[in-house]
Amino acid sequence: MNCDDLEKAISLYLYDELTAEERGALEGHVAGCEGCRAKLEESRRLHRVLSECPQPEPTPELLVRSRQALDDALDREQLGWRGLLRGWMWNFGAAPAPRLAAVLTLVLLGFGLGWTLRPRAKSLEPVAPRQTAASFFGTDPGDLRIRHISEVAPDPQSGGVRITLDAERRVTLEGSLDDPRIRQVLVDTMRGYDNPGIRRDTLEALRTHRDNPVVRAALLFAIRHDPNAGMRLEALGTVRGMEPGRDMQEALLGALEHDTNPGVRVAAVNALLQHAAEEGQDETVMPVLVKLAASDQNAYVRFQCQAAVRKMEGNE
Amino acid sequence: MVDGACLELVGKTEISRQGEAEAERGLIRRAQRGDRAAFDALVRRYDQEVLRMTLRMVRSEVEAQDLYQEVFLKVYRSLGQFRLEARFSTWLYRVVTNVCFDHLRQQKTRSEVPARETAEGELDYAGTLADDRPGLNPERALQAREISRRLEAALGRLSPRERVVFELKHCQGMRLRAIGEFCGTSEEAAKNSLFRAVQKLREELGDLV
Repeated sequence: MNCDDLEKAISLYLYDELTAEERGALEGHVAGCEGCRAKLEESRRLHRVLSECPQPEPTPELLVRSRQALDDALDREQLGWRGLLRGWMWNFGAAPAPRLAAVLTLVLLGFGLGWTLRPRAKSLEPVAPRQTAASFFGTDPGDLRIRHISEVAPDPQSGGVRITLDAERRVTLEGSLDDPRIRQVLVDTMRGYDNPGIRRDTLEALRTHRDNPVVRAALLFAIRHDPNAGMRLEALGTVRGMEPGRDMQEALLGALEHDTNPGVRVAAVNALLQHAAEEGQDETVMPVLVKLAASDQNAYVRFQCQAAVRKMEGNE
Repeated sequence: MVDGACLELVGKTEISRQGEAEAERGLIRRAQRGDRAAFDALVRRYDQEVLRMTLRMVRSEVEAQDLYQEVFLKVYRSLGQFRLEARFSTWLYRVVTNVCFDHLRQQKTRSEVPARETAEGELDYAGTLADDRPGLNPERALQAREISRRLEAALGRLSPRERVVFELKHCQGMRLRAIGEFCGTSEEAAKNSLFRAVQKLREELGDLV
């Protein structure tokens, strides 16, 4: 192995992608070549820096959102023209002639059988027990949103049919926000529902109970993690006036340091000022304000941070 | 005696692995016949890993969610063509790689600035990192954030192919041979892409080492 070969081999060496023989050759060369030893050390340091750099991990909320969105997309896919077409293509697309003939025969037999059994359809109602139907559907079956049908089993003797399906039903919940179950539904909605309009209405409903610990946590979560900037601003507005605390300060600092929207960052500065006025200053706030007063990419945010620093220094 | 016990354990592990593979083939067969519940179960086996891969490739939660969906819709649409003698995970990760690769290529063509700086409502992925990595030392946390920011900018300089190979190797720890397979290329080509990626990162981040 010469010095030119080594240049390329170093990356593979550090990623453990060399054979034992290649490793031996590289180590042998490095032992006797000062220049290459320095290169290897430099690459090792870069590798360490890259490895220490934290990698993003999907949050449980992201996983839930992704699963919900996929579920809806698959529903649309199943019910749309593409799903129907695929079903047909699957049956007929690559089918050899005998299979196609068999399928067509079955279809014709099906029609014939259906025609033969047609008069029996009248007996469906008396034979199928009313009680079962009522207990299954509860109210109007039109309320049901069918997600998946796993079995349709006709009974030629009775003329009835058994359908096994997964379905959702629209439900209306009414109750006081003092009811923890109602509160939990709202909190879950605010944390994970994908329609921002509904999340906004939910926040509005929760506003009166913002000092409840579960509601408080959901509001602080929204400040940091709601995907909609308008919602993050609303949440920031809602927590102002709430009981100050460490959790709130962390959420506000997080928004100030990481939010991509300058309006949210400005609102976070103001909320932090108010928090400091009520709770007293904390040593972690000032360094962040000083840093962003010099380095935030938005001029107005920098200006607001500078003003906040002056104000906090004046209070000291 | 110990050897015998070990052999027995290895045998049991092998059996359970075979059972697992057979269960997966069962799910695939049912999903191929249109059984949605089976498809959902198949998704649940891999979706966390798929989401992690897409998030690390694009470093944006919104985009990662879109790519996750695109991957599984593609799998759903083409599952009928999957042959059971192949490994499902290999086939799936090839779909993930292609979807990410196409996305990065389109992004490059549009010369987009990183979505995190422009997209409205973008989540800050740094906020999702585990707390224990930079520790609770604020100085280290700040340093880690700075390196993250620099790394993100440096990754933006890589070609889509280099980016995909680097992420699969560095973040996912996959073997280059497998990466070549996922990318529809040779192990040698994957090695070259990794080499070029590391060279570019060294140019960008050289002052940190």
